Amino acid sequence: MSAISELSHIKVTKAKSPEERLARRKEATRDNKAGYLFLLPWLVGLVVITIGPMIASLYLSFTNYSLIQAPEWTGLANYARMLDDARLHHSLKVTFIYVFVSVPLQLILALGIALLLDKGMRGLALYRSIFYLPSMLGGSVAIALLWRQMFGTDGIVNQILRLFGLEATTGWISDPKYALGTIILLHIWTFGSPMVIFLAGLRQIPGMYYEAASVDGATRWVRFTQITLPLLSPIIFFNLVLQIIGAFQSFTQAFVVSNGTGGPSDSTLFYTLYLYQRGFGQFQMGYAAAMAWLLVVIVGVLTAINFFASKYWVFYDD
Amino acid sequence: MTLDSTRNLTYSLGKRFHNQWRKGNAMAVTRRQFLIGGGVAVAAMTTGLAACGSNSESGGSADGSADLQFAWWGNEVRNKNTDAAIAAYMKANPNVKISGQPGEFATYWDKLATQTAGNTAPDIIQMDMAYIAEYGSRGALLDLGEGGADVSKFAEGTVDSGKIDGKLVGLNAGINTPTILANPAVFEKAKMDLPDDTTWTWDQAKEVGAELTSKVGGGVFGMSSIFNDATLSAFLRQHGKELFVDKGLGFEAADVVPWFEMQVAYEKAKAIPSAAAVSEEANKPLDQSGLVTSKAGMAMFWSNQVEAVNAASGGEMAILRYPSIAGKATERKAWYKAGQLFSVSARTKNPDASVAFVNWLVNSPEAAAINLAERGIPANTEIAASIQSKLSPAQKSVAKFIADIKPELAETPIAPPPGGGTLAAVMTRYQTDVLFGRTSPADAATKFVDELKSNLTG
Amino acid sequence: MTDLRTKTVPEERVVRPAAETPAHNRLVMLGRGRSLLMDALLILASLVIIYPLLWMLVSSFRPTDVIFRSPGLWVNDLVLTNYTQGWHALGNPFGHYLMNSALVVIGAVAGNLLSCSLAAYAFARLRFRLKTLWFSIMLVTIMLPIHVVVVPQYILFNQLGWVNTFIPLVLPKFMATDAFFVFLMVQFIRGIPRELDEAARIDGCGHWRIFARVMLPLMGPALATTAIFTFIWTWSDFFTSLIYLTSPEKYTVPVALRGFLDSTSGSNWGAMFAMSIVSLVPIFLAFLFGQKFLVKGIATTGGK
Repeated sequence: MSAISELSHIKVTKAKSPEERLARRKEATRDNKAGYLFLLPWLVGLVVITIGPMIASLYLSFTNYSLIQAPEWTGLANYARMLDDARLHHSLKVTFIYVFVSVPLQLILALGIALLLDKGMRGLALYRSIFYLPSMLGGSVAIALLWRQMFGTDGIVNQILRLFGLEATTGWISDPKYALGTIILLHIWTFGSPMVIFLAGLRQIPGMYYEAASVDGATRWVRFTQITLPLLSPIIFFNLVLQIIGAFQSFTQAFVVSNGTGGPSDSTLFYTLYLYQRGFGQFQMGYAAAMAWLLVVIVGVLTAINFFASKYWVFYDD
Repeated sequence: MTLDSTRNLTYSLGKRFHNQWRKGNAMAVTRRQFLIGGGVAVAAMTTGLAACGSNSESGGSADGSADLQFAWWGNEVRNKNTDAAIAAYMKANPNVKISGQPGEFATYWDKLATQTAGNTAPDIIQMDMAYIAEYGSRGALLDLGEGGADVSKFAEGTVDSGKIDGKLVGLNAGINTPTILANPAVFEKAKMDLPDDTTWTWDQAKEVGAELTSKVGGGVFGMSSIFNDATLSAFLRQHGKELFVDKGLGFEAADVVPWFEMQVAYEKAKAIPSAAAVSEEANKPLDQSGLVTSKAGMAMFWSNQVEAVNAASGGEMAILRYPSIAGKATERKAWYKAGQLFSVSARTKNPDASVAFVNWLVNSPEAAAINLAERGIPANTEIAASIQSKLSPAQKSVAKFIADIKPELAETPIAPPPGGGTLAAVMTRYQTDVLFGRTSPADAATKFVDELKSNLTG
Repeated sequence: MTDLRTKTVPEERVVRPAAETPAHNRLVMLGRGRSLLMDALLILASLVIIYPLLWMLVSSFRPTDVIFRSPGLWVNDLVLTNYTQGWHALGNPFGHYLMNSALVVIGAVAGNLLSCSLAAYAFARLRFRLKTLWFSIMLVTIMLPIHVVVVPQYILFNQLGWVNTFIPLVLPKFMATDAFFVFLMVQFIRGIPRELDEAARIDGCGHWRIFARVMLPLMGPALATTAIFTFIWTWSDFFTSLIYLTSPEKYTVPVALRGFLDSTSGSNWGAMFAMSIVSLVPIFLAFLFGQKFLVKGIATTGGK
């Protein structure tokens, strides 16, 4: 009997009789204690380190807080003010463009390279390390300098374009039309983290599935769409959720490349960058906290949609 | 076995899929539970947030011993100097212990703000003009005048920049003044003489720039942009306005329309490079700037940057006065600015020891011998004279320039009020818009003034 | 139920595609041509990707004043002074900061591996009350931007007297506050066939033994990913170190590196690049050696 049919057999045995459901419920009660024991370190951290500051920031969002003087209750004033803050609206637009362009591109690239590298080829370890290198210094000052250097008026990018006879005179980073594009590129360039996670995920797919499929003469494409994608889907889902959350919070890259200004002309004014400018640059921590909670709501809604949609395409083995 | 079994496999895998936690028990306890849990931490924090005036613990003692924290930003040269100065002071005052907290400008302020919020601000704080009002007007800085700081020997116009609401909250750590630096090598290439900076007007400066651009060629421009907040201040002062008046903005939209128009004129005349290059230049660190890399003939710099510019370029820049409307240096309304200031936290446990140390930093020959003019020419004239012979050539020429312009000084501008520190960034943004042709000078002026006003009201 | 454990034991994998047929050989040949092309592509891609880093490496051997005038990768006069001077240019020898970072990193990695895997096991495999709620809370904690929590958190740690110690950098890791990794491991565990731990359960194993004997070994790739990411992110974390560490003796590498920079006066770029390279070596090595554990998943360890 081949592995496949045996596997299908398992499924069949998992049918749910009423007795089994009852047994499961009993089991569920039994797990309560263990569940909370396993969760204990996290719960302690949550209560002591995380929830406190989060509630504090929620409280601050209803105050006028300069960091230097004690907060002063102002009710919904901060939230009302967000309604006609043109820079805030602009920063939302910039952030949305950034998220919805860079996240899919980065994930596709990461998955593609991960699939290539998963073949177990020569020099695999080295390639993996090289591809991961950019992520190691993603947000450092050195990278910001490099980026400005590369995409500057006389940077390497323009020099290469000139080799092809193009008249490249603009500074990509300093032109409001292209600046966001260079940051998106910078983000895609650091595809190492999702790639590593994909690789680990690929490694977890039991080899027997492929072997069984090969026995059945499945083509590479079939194997990819019928085995790899479904079995990798929890990891794809993880990367998607986390990359979206992460991209909304994107800060360091825009901060170092634009020296914290979000320039030129606010073209790279990410939401969190603006939040930071308000909080630490203009000493309006109350307003910044309100902005943070708006972001939580936006990202929360998107994540919820993501979780909802995942029902239709993510396969879990449980 | 067929392909179908593979499909079956995935199909059945899919069927097995469910989402355990989504089906979990959605009982409505929690909010209270975790409010209680978090409550402890929140209580701890809110007492911290209401930071003011908890002066109860005393770290100082009757014998005058003290444990002080001193924070500053700077590069490794300043860090070494400052460490040496601290060591010298501790040797002379064995009962005082000072720990240094060196930092870097951009991130220094995040840390200081957080520390201030957490009531752990360093005792002695290196301050910047852009931030002094934020801290000073909110009661975070000690009144040094009351605390016994000695400014009796300070040069005229060097004390007032540290005053907020009539209180002296910062001591000038080094005199600074805006200058236009000219690269003689570029002028030589163009076979041009350096302009006469005592008589040049804004128009003439533009022509000099344009002439340089056309005569040198090869992508070199007469000036990298000279239009920053200091130049705007000069421009407004010559028109009888100021950047800031007490608690408010010192100019209206109509006053800055010509400012934006002037830049467009400079760009049209090719005295300054294209919009993209100007905006690129604004983000470049000093060592990569156009002037230093001989891509520009002139640029705006502060006098205390001259040494760094010379070191980075390997040449020696000429220090010029910025232009005036009337073509008379005496009417250009020059001023001394504090490059940095030394402030003392209002919540220090050791106000006396902190003020004593700051006093020593600005008024003692020992400290000056270590720091020299690294933070700018000392404001104390006697001290400035005492280190004269030890200065580097660049510092000597700066000292001379600062002495030379004394007759040209007008009233010292006041420190930007809270929110005013954003001026430079807001201005750069609208300037970029104007140069890229995205807004007209008139529109930019209106928006610029509106946004600043709203920033000032908090 | 059949004996589930046999599902993944190696013998089962003896089933191989029929090798050594002519068709197969042709495939291998084709594969070789393709893999040459693939190699070429990969090499090209690697070059594009690491050009900026090579430039940085090369720059670290250049005198500071020529760094920004040379976009190319050729060094005319190789200087080592950036390294020799840079090592001693800050208040302490650079090795001191490397040690500080190493201490923090070791603590952080240990903390994350332990606490996140425990929490992940609970979320992925156990049934307990309010699981949905806790899980959503965990996700929300990832969503709040750090800049607004940092001040309350600072105040908290300050009240506890932990400012200017490594505790605020390490302790939270033992409490699984990096929810990212909890979520990561949850996703991995849910990808592991349930038959494996159910079999163990039938054999009478309790949760601790299932966790320690079945799950942990199977989570190899997830644990390695967590360890590597924690290592790298902690190593390059700037903001937390900046806020919590006040005395230069305690500075970690990223904070120390800023000591070379001052945007208003001169910066020592050469030394900054040189020391950046030095500080990259440990994380590069960590990754190079650590990644070997990435490939030890179910695919290689089987059901062991």
